[in-house]
Amino acid sequence: MKTNETDIILKKFFSDQKQEITDNGFSRRVAQRLPEQKDRTWIVWAFAIVGMTISLLLGISSGLLQNLMANMIHIPINYLISGVFCFPLVGTACYYFFQRKQYSLI
Amino acid sequence: MSNAEDIRWVTQVALLGDKKAFDKLTCKYQSSIRRFFLNLTMGDSQLSDDLAQETFIKAYLNISTFKGISGFSTWLYRIAYNVFYDSTRARKHYDDIDNDIIDYQHQTFNEFSSEKMDIHKALKILRKEEQTAVLLFYMEDKTHKDIARIMNCPLGTAKTYILKGKEKLSVYLKQAGYEN
Repeated sequence: MKTNETDIILKKFFSDQKQEITDNGFSRRVAQRLPEQKDRTWIVWAFAIVGMTISLLLGISSGLLQNLMANMIHIPINYLISGVFCFPLVGTACYYFFQRKQYSLI
Repeated sequence: MSNAEDIRWVTQVALLGDKKAFDKLTCKYQSSIRRFFLNLTMGDSQLSDDLAQETFIKAYLNISTFKGISGFSTWLYRIAYNVFYDSTRARKHYDDIDNDIIDYQHQTFNEFSSEKMDIHKALKILRKEEQTAVLLFYMEDKTHKDIARIMNCPLGTAKTYILKGKEKLSVYLKQAGYEN
């Protein structure tokens, strides 16, 4: 038998035998047996709060926030609205572009 | 289901100990890992489920050592491979009982036995390493490089296992009258 032909036969043989095994509570049993670990989700919140506090303090102490607020008053309302809407639109477009395989309808 | 998604879940588990993220990984890979064990144990579904559970628990405990050089799936198979060979070594101490009787009993009482007899008969003619390499290559669609990583051997050795396994299986299947 030629190598290529053998490969095709073996691929077919194994794919004929291949089957998906249903979960049937397997994942739940694994989850029950996982050792307890400390919940460290507080780290995310702690870093977020610390980051925001530092940003606010720096913004206030350097006068950047006050300047920003003062300038915002002079910006036309149309620019502000389009600026605000631009972020989620561009963000969503980028997200779907990078995750397009997952959301592909084909 | 992308590799990026795996990395995100792995990061959540490693940094935050997020069990829900690990549950997603378990759900995603349970079928392939259990099938891999089911074929290596010649259809012993109880043993393969025990080994698969051990694999996932070890993966959870050592998830911080996952460097992302290979995919999460390859890393998981590497653990599964080690778990299987550790278990094989441990069970060698209890090999006084005839192996054929054990195989027969397990194959009789598991849900996949009737459909899997052919593949188990075929796999039995191979050496353990050849079985692993052939299963990973033909059934789990792993590349030569990934197989070498999983079996922790040089690329050439992994290729040799597959080649030898292929030669033996082609003769067996020909004799058994299995054709395309």
